Amino acid sequence: MIFDENKVNRIDFHMHTTVSDGTDTPEQIIGIVRDAGITLFSVADHDSIKSSVMIKKLLTENDPGFFSGVEFSCRDDEGKYHILGYGYDTNAESLKKITEFTHNNRMKKARLRLEYIKADYGFEFPREEIENLLRMDNPGKPHIGNLMVKYGYAPTKEIAIKDYINKLRVRTDYIRPETAIEGILAAGGVPVLAHPAYGDGDQLIIGDELDKRIKKLKDFGLEGVECFYSGFTVKLIRDAMSLADKYGLYITAGSDYHGSNKMVELGDTGLDYTKDFPESLHKFIRRVMQ
Amino acid sequence: MIRTMNIELKGRIDSGNAPKIEEELLEQLKDNGKEPVILDAAELNYISSAGLRVILRIKKTYTDLSIINVNSDVYETFEMTGFTEMMHIEKAYKVVSIEGCEEVGRGANGTIYRIDKDNVVKVYNNADALEDIQHEREVAKLALILGIPTAISYDVVRVGESYGSVFEFLNAQSFAKIMVNEPDKLDWCVQEFVKMLKIIHSTVVPEGKLPDMKETALKWAQRTSEELPAQAGEKLIRLFEEVPRDNHMIHGDYHTKNLVFQNDEVLLIDMDTLAVGHPVFELGPIYNALQGFSEYDHDVIIDFQGYNYDTATTFWKKFLALYLKTTDEKIIRDVENKARIVGYSRLIRRTLRKGDLTLEKTQKEIALWKERLLELLEVTDTLIFDEPADEINNNELEIEAKAENLNTVLDFVDKKLEAVGCSPRTQMQVDLAVEEIFINIAHYAYAPGIGNAIIRADINDNNSQLKLTFIDRGMPYDPLKREDPDLTLPADERDIGGLGIFMTKKSVDDISYEYRDGCNILVVKKNL
Repeated sequence: MIFDENKVNRIDFHMHTTVSDGTDTPEQIIGIVRDAGITLFSVADHDSIKSSVMIKKLLTENDPGFFSGVEFSCRDDEGKYHILGYGYDTNAESLKKITEFTHNNRMKKARLRLEYIKADYGFEFPREEIENLLRMDNPGKPHIGNLMVKYGYAPTKEIAIKDYINKLRVRTDYIRPETAIEGILAAGGVPVLAHPAYGDGDQLIIGDELDKRIKKLKDFGLEGVECFYSGFTVKLIRDAMSLADKYGLYITAGSDYHGSNKMVELGDTGLDYTKDFPESLHKFIRRVMQ
Repeated sequence: MIRTMNIELKGRIDSGNAPKIEEELLEQLKDNGKEPVILDAAELNYISSAGLRVILRIKKTYTDLSIINVNSDVYETFEMTGFTEMMHIEKAYKVVSIEGCEEVGRGANGTIYRIDKDNVVKVYNNADALEDIQHEREVAKLALILGIPTAISYDVVRVGESYGSVFEFLNAQSFAKIMVNEPDKLDWCVQEFVKMLKIIHSTVVPEGKLPDMKETALKWAQRTSEELPAQAGEKLIRLFEEVPRDNHMIHGDYHTKNLVFQNDEVLLIDMDTLAVGHPVFELGPIYNALQGFSEYDHDVIIDFQGYNYDTATTFWKKFLALYLKTTDEKIIRDVENKARIVGYSRLIRRTLRKGDLTLEKTQKEIALWKERLLELLEVTDTLIFDEPADEINNNELEIEAKAENLNTVLDFVDKKLEAVGCSPRTQMQVDLAVEEIFINIAHYAYAPGIGNAIIRADINDNNSQLKLTFIDRGMPYDPLKREDPDLTLPADERDIGGLGIFMTKKSVDDISYEYRDGCNILVVKKNL
């Protein structure tokens, strides 16, 4: 492992693989991370710990430092959250239970969508394609859209989603934030709020609202906040850091790299790598590297 | 002319269309090199955080990015998320008409009209005034942060082909107007004029925030020296060059039309000439406004300020004596000579550049100033003078926020307290608060970097209250938001931290926090 706490490090704790909606496989991403000069990383696929399980087995001595990660989509009456889990035991029962639930939910949604476009528009695919799709870790709207393009039902993936797939509203059975936090804690991991000011990715939660949100999650057992995030301005980073400080939480950093799906580069977290990291980030690293 | 790339943003940008819009933007920008990119948001109604991230990513590749014509809702989003700190973002301007509005003032750069009962608009002469407006707003804000009472324009509007700054201005009267309408208030005007000038001249300006007046003044000396005999010319330049650099603020155009009295408060206006420098570079132009300009033709000042030359002369004499805190004619005359050298140098250059040199009057004016300047150069060997010791001068301490400097800060505050003979108990309580607050700033405000803290210590007129102001430009943090610790719990069950600020609250009489213009401002009051 090439991570050494006392040296200058590039880090990135938030990236996706093909296990969820990234475009690099877990096998590929190790090399890509290494080539990007990153010395310590984690993957945080949506609702799945599979990439962490795989990468742990694949790592060699010359690879960057690694600890397990996951990103759960959560919801309660007050809104949506992405909760990251880091440094958990990949064999823990508590996370198996949650990921089984979320995986089944995704399978159910994929089947409903396939039935819908067949019934309403008459779009049919060879059995083999459907079996392949349902064997995936994370079949979603883009995958179905791609199939529609492949069989000539739509000119582009975007049109397939917008004009056909999205016509059916499928309910998502979200887990609650406290369920995710408790599950991560029970697996010995550190629960962290992802991109705090952006909610589930498309909201804007700042000021007192964010303060209240973090306070509530802390009461559930939250231990960290992703203060450094590729999509944050200096002000959003500062605001998040002052809340992390106020509630005594760890600080983490992630790019939310998705491969070629999003224009985000690995290691682009807003952290200044030429300076010493904030103490709460050092503490986090020590905690997950134990 | 620099080529710029203009792209329109329309409708909504949210997670539904952000990837597509990003792709389109990048497609349009792909042949763009280093040219500035301007996004025109006139028709953008909404932007979600997915949209913000698109902008941020574009900015990472195309660093010279600005957004213009932003409606107020979208602007608010940019402002709350700190985008306005990272790039140039311009609001869509309201259009204001000045037809039939009363003209309430006229300055070098523009004319002020009253647009309704509470507001005035300063319309700039220059049609390309946006940069001037932006500059004036920025320096006015800086002055306000540094403790100088001034009016900040709250909006920029379009007025015909030009732009205007809107100010809230209720019943404001300039000092010039007061002196004309209520001649018996002259002494009061002098006092307030000096008081404000002392505040300005005692204000330390952070490095690089304002231009250096010495550089401007050297241009006056250089041009004017060409009109003088060689030896005198060389001496003039040397005198200017020998004035030391100074990081205190000067106004640059300080006269009785730029001080206004509004709602029992004296405000400084017309901030676009703000600079740093030695006070002699301020006294020169003040001399000009009151004397120099009208030295040849005494009626000039009536058009300019409204009052006559005799009033101006009385004002200047009283002003200088009060500013120097002396009745010693010799000292006053000496400083006046220095101010006149600076003043005449400026007048001569200005008139050579802007005056109508074909007029006999202009030639005679220049000749008179030149003659007097030469006389003064004979008897003057330096432009430097000692500013009188003044309480205001050492009311402020700017120091690097690190724990090692605590004792310097405590000494600074203790000296203030000792001067008014406060009790050891009160002093101890104040020290406790100072220690807690300063150490907090030292540890957290700029972590992991370093930065400065400003500590102001003001004692009120009857020595009954100390007001301490702590200012830092670090991470926004309101220490008062911490809940008070539960003191009913045994010590080992209490939260660590929070106790310090709790004790601070207990040991002072009032404490308040504000985050303004990038500064944490904590004000502590203690009754003495």
